Amino acid sequence: MSEERALTVTEAMNAAKRALESVSLRVIGEVSEFNDKPGYKAAYFTVCDGAASMPCLMWRDVYVASGIELRCGALVELTGAFSAYVPKGRMQFVVRSLALAGEGFLRMQVAALARKLESEGLMSPDRKRALPTFPGRIAVVTSPRGKAVHDVIRTLRRRYPLAELMVAGVQVEGTDAPAAIVEGMRVADAASPDVILLVRGGGSYEDLMPFNAEEVARAVAASRAPVVTGIGHEPDTSISDMVSDLSVSTPTAAAEACAPSVDDVAGRLEKLSRLLGGALAHRVQVARHGLRRLLERPVFADSRVVLGPAAQTVDTLGGELRRAIPERLRRDRERLTYVRKSLAGVGPRLVSHPRDLMAVASARLGDLSPLGILGRGYAVCYGPDGRTVVKSVDSIATGEKVNVRVADGRLGCVVETAEREI
Amino acid sequence: MQDEGGVPAEELSFGDALKELETIVAGLESGQLELEDSLARYERGVALLRALQAKLSDAEQKVTTLLGELEAEDVPVAADGD
Repeated sequence: MSEERALTVTEAMNAAKRALESVSLRVIGEVSEFNDKPGYKAAYFTVCDGAASMPCLMWRDVYVASGIELRCGALVELTGAFSAYVPKGRMQFVVRSLALAGEGFLRMQVAALARKLESEGLMSPDRKRALPTFPGRIAVVTSPRGKAVHDVIRTLRRRYPLAELMVAGVQVEGTDAPAAIVEGMRVADAASPDVILLVRGGGSYEDLMPFNAEEVARAVAASRAPVVTGIGHEPDTSISDMVSDLSVSTPTAAAEACAPSVDDVAGRLEKLSRLLGGALAHRVQVARHGLRRLLERPVFADSRVVLGPAAQTVDTLGGELRRAIPERLRRDRERLTYVRKSLAGVGPRLVSHPRDLMAVASARLGDLSPLGILGRGYAVCYGPDGRTVVKSVDSIATGEKVNVRVADGRLGCVVETAEREI
Repeated sequence: MQDEGGVPAEELSFGDALKELETIVAGLESGQLELEDSLARYERGVALLRALQAKLSDAEQKVTTLLGELEAEDVPVAADGD
């Protein structure tokens, strides 16, 4: 037994296989090659750590049962044992269980959550709300320290100082970050902003994990105000990005996306100002043109067109008037003539008559004058008082003095006799 | 600056004022309006335009904090918001 028999190659390889398989190992490494052709009985891949590499084998049923889809670059934790492939003399690690390690693990979790929320419809394009064109109030949920918040403030101050900016400063890293961000979203939303910016500066995948937290994603989805996310500078998309109304890559981009630039707005106002003036000028021009066309119409070019009918009416009425008025005048004139003639006839008579009357009256006066009678030889006998006319023999006694008036004087007489004759 | 019973231009939000101004311009450009109406709208448009331009030129970003304390940079921060 001092001299051992030389082994066959097969015996040697089988001895090595047994030795390797006796030790179970836990290995962490990054997947560098991956070969999973359909029909293969196993998935073949290599893990490495920069200094060494290790070929791995994972039986198909075991691989499928792990629920993991390996890809190059994934950090994996493998449990298994080395073995040897006797026919080719190759060593390989046979994986009994597989788990994603570090970021790989996180990514798997995130992907699972993404699928869950997507199945709930939270990522549906229909849920994405339009951002207000001119937000009056913008809330920012981010760390109160660091570059991100100031990137946002600076960008908005430069591009859009019209809005009030409300900062909800929250912890964005560490295990408490998800709850802090949820509270920040709640407070921001309660302030009734027109839009909320949920932003964070660049960081590792792990740093950004709070934005992949389910509660944060749900808070973003439930926000009453539309949410713009700008998380990290990596091409990675967080779950919050997926459920937000608009996702951009950086805080600055989020600030730019939530509002227009005042320079653009000023340009738009200038254009509107020109259009406004131009539109009115045009309207006035149209009105003026219309007016001019109207003025050129025959109506205004020749006043007779519009006045003709009226003139005709005037003529007609005038004719009627002329007929009516002279007729009346003629009648009046006739009456007047008649009256005048009457007057002319009456006038002289009116004048001559009194004269005649006076002559007659005068004649009659003359006739009636006692003097006239006296002149014809009659006499009047007054009583003793000189005034009472003696008309009866009885009114006077003999011897009484009487006064007898004759035409040219008086006679003092004494009654000698009084004899009644009738 | 108040006509057609509208809200005074200064009291409208920027977006609402701009929207109304654009509607007025579109209305005027249609050429379908009476001249008097056109003039009235033009006046309203000018009032809106002035208010908008004033808002633009007078705009000064107001920053308040809802939560946390903003680390000072070169940005002046207003005392606590309401």
